Amino acid sequence: MKKFLFVALATIITESISAQDIMGRVIDHKNEPLIGATVFLPIAEKGSITDINGQFEIKNVTKDQTAIVSFVGFKTDTISLLFGQHLTIKMQEDTELDEVVIKSSTTFIDNVEPIHAEVITEKELLKTACCNLSESFETNASVDVSFTDAVTGTKTIRMLGLDGKYTLINRENMPHVRGLSARLGLNYIPGTWIQSIDVGKGSGSVINGYESMTGQINVEFKKPENSEKLYLNAYGNSFGRMELNANTAFAINDKWSGALLTHADYFNNEIDGNNDGFMDLPKAKQVNILNRYKYRGDRIVSQIGFHFLKDQKAGGQNGFNFGDDALTSTLYGYSSDVSKMEVFGKVGVLFPHAPYKGWGFIYSASVQDNKSGFGHKAYTGQEKTLYTNLIHQNIIGNTFHQYKTGLSFMIDDFTESFADSAFSRTEIVPGAFFEYSYMPNDKFTLVSGLRTDAHNLYGLYVTPRLHMRYEVMPEGTLRLAIGKGYRTSNIITENSQAFISSRNLVVEEELKPEESWNMGGSFVKEIKIGEQNMSIIADYFHTEFQNQVIVDMDQNPSEVRFYNLDGRSFANSYQIEVGTSLNDFISTKAAYKYYDVKATIDGDLRPLPYVSKNRTFWNVSYTSKYDIWQADATLQWYGSKRLPNTTSKSAEFQRPDYSPDFTNVNVQLSRTFRWGNVYIGSENLLDFKQKNPIIDPENPFSDQFDGSLVWGPIAGRMVYFGMRYKIN
Amino acid sequence: MKNILLATVLGLSFLGLKAQKNDKYQTVEIQTSAICEMCQYAIEKEMALEKGVKSSSLNLDNKVLTVKYNSKKTDSDKVRKRVSLTGYHADDVERDPEAYENLPLCCKDGAHADDDEHHQE
Repeated sequence: MKKFLFVALATIITESISAQDIMGRVIDHKNEPLIGATVFLPIAEKGSITDINGQFEIKNVTKDQTAIVSFVGFKTDTISLLFGQHLTIKMQEDTELDEVVIKSSTTFIDNVEPIHAEVITEKELLKTACCNLSESFETNASVDVSFTDAVTGTKTIRMLGLDGKYTLINRENMPHVRGLSARLGLNYIPGTWIQSIDVGKGSGSVINGYESMTGQINVEFKKPENSEKLYLNAYGNSFGRMELNANTAFAINDKWSGALLTHADYFNNEIDGNNDGFMDLPKAKQVNILNRYKYRGDRIVSQIGFHFLKDQKAGGQNGFNFGDDALTSTLYGYSSDVSKMEVFGKVGVLFPHAPYKGWGFIYSASVQDNKSGFGHKAYTGQEKTLYTNLIHQNIIGNTFHQYKTGLSFMIDDFTESFADSAFSRTEIVPGAFFEYSYMPNDKFTLVSGLRTDAHNLYGLYVTPRLHMRYEVMPEGTLRLAIGKGYRTSNIITENSQAFISSRNLVVEEELKPEESWNMGGSFVKEIKIGEQNMSIIADYFHTEFQNQVIVDMDQNPSEVRFYNLDGRSFANSYQIEVGTSLNDFISTKAAYKYYDVKATIDGDLRPLPYVSKNRTFWNVSYTSKYDIWQADATLQWYGSKRLPNTTSKSAEFQRPDYSPDFTNVNVQLSRTFRWGNVYIGSENLLDFKQKNPIIDPENPFSDQFDGSLVWGPIAGRMVYFGMRYKIN
Repeated sequence: MKNILLATVLGLSFLGLKAQKNDKYQTVEIQTSAICEMCQYAIEKEMALEKGVKSSSLNLDNKVLTVKYNSKKTDSDKVRKRVSLTGYHADDVERDPEAYENLPLCCKDGAHADDDEHHQE
């Protein structure tokens, strides 16, 4: 439903609803005409197809009509004829089944310019060469990327000031980074596999489940039908990390196509810039393979994919290697061994003469196995998941009123053990949803959704969501959203940073599911200054928890305590972002964020640790004509963060209550050739490092040791180099 | 006198160098079979990627492509060859048939000839 609609400047908009002829042209994203596209007016029962130039004409229609434009392989578009008599309709390639693409909060309709939506395109992703999804947000102001501890090297994201676990991360509209991989899962999606990322702030659509509490991120992988025949990427950095990616896409026959996406990385160096005896980054190796097939018939569109992952890490004290047993080692070792297998797919039934109508079925089945060692503490976890979602889409009377409804079913089976405790649970959740969209014109959209899920362990979840979009002035769009969200926490995998320490695990009571309301809105205004565009985005979101699993590292520095929220917990997030192009080649984007995030921890309402109250973001981008040269620099300033209380530790091991602020700069330069491109860049260019990230590193098995108090980068400046080779 | 002579020699050799520097760049005008903005974009982009080409510009009115190139790195035949490989005729160099096949429809022969025809139900 993402539409970019252009209207010829010569359009004469008249107020009358008298009969007239309309003419137009249908083009694709490369401005090539689409021949044989259908333009259909359901109410008037009139239609036409486009000729060799993509042009069409329909005589004697009234302007209160809505035209539906469809073409195989493209997203069906609805256009109000109020836009005028001469239309240029730019179709978006449909990389999805039509049934599952409504994302009202990121829908953009504009009658002059395609507006900035928070869609991170492949081109934007190329600005950050490395390495996986967790790093794909470096040039995006809405998603924060941070390190979590001094040993595991894990990067996580935050949205609206809250941990990434509260963001529903979908892969092609099926919940993906969740459960045991809620934290590490971002590292299992290689950057070169990604075609685009949609970032939606606030609660998402009910179609994808009840789990989106602060936002919804949807990642589209490369598709068989529109990816390069061959894509190779080789990357190396100054720490000694190497990565190889090889993607291929192929047509099998008229209807079947396939793609194979592969990734391998290897890092086996010991980097210890701060000489504390601990590796700044763990040794790591990963093999990641995804094989997918797509069938496109006239009525049926279907795809199936297979995913295999093996990821190993070995960190901790220098000398700890792959395969060493952390439990019996005399060194403090961190080991992690994750394997995952998955089958996923979709089936869509289309109605060529009623493009607003359709059925979609989404399925995924996966098995995941985690084994970790945190010093002398062992963790094992298995997760088996089955997820299905059946969606029906249709209209009520006319296309002003559309609905999506369906049934979902999920089984999620966990078996976990940590040190001497064992946890296991099986969640069985059947659910039903209905979402109604009202689109009377291109200025206003209202999406109202409700889902109910019968959770076998936690009872009935009722999830209402409401989204509204209104173009309050030309080029100025207001969006409002409110919605409920739920999730079950997995305390070990989501808080693994806390266990790189001498802290003991204390679960005070039976933990209930987390539950929150999120409400907020955004205002986007586009301004044209001479030939250049400027966009201003201001947003505010409030998340209020009815229940939260509190991670208490304050009460006792030798414990990490988990209990249900008793009191208030909320997050207020304010962001203002200004993007502008200085000329045809240089553009810049600056953002300021203010987070007021507090939770009742140890009896009183206090700021959540590790959250900067103030943050700024600044990106400058240069692109030469025809994209031959591309240069990018991103500066991020992180304000001071509260740190967990260490006042009861012995004096030399105490830490301040607040961290200092710091600045991180990433830069990249790339040159395009006919065969591909070459890139060179640096992360943490200013070489800022948190000093002494680990407490008492000399005695890792003592009761003072703590590697979890990390608020900044540990490894210093890194320089990387790589090349990409493509055959289209 | 000696100084004047030296200055003259230096000046001349400097001029010579400068002239030589200017000689490096040559300009060629190539008649192409481009049709629309899409063709213009494709050709100019290919020129930007071509070794030794400093700048290029296609005039859509007369379809003439003007290319400034470094004569030490390339020559006008190579430039024409590249235009041909992009799918367009370049003076007397015939377009590459395979590249032409892959052109967008708006860049093919006669694509914009029947602008007035509209298929209608």
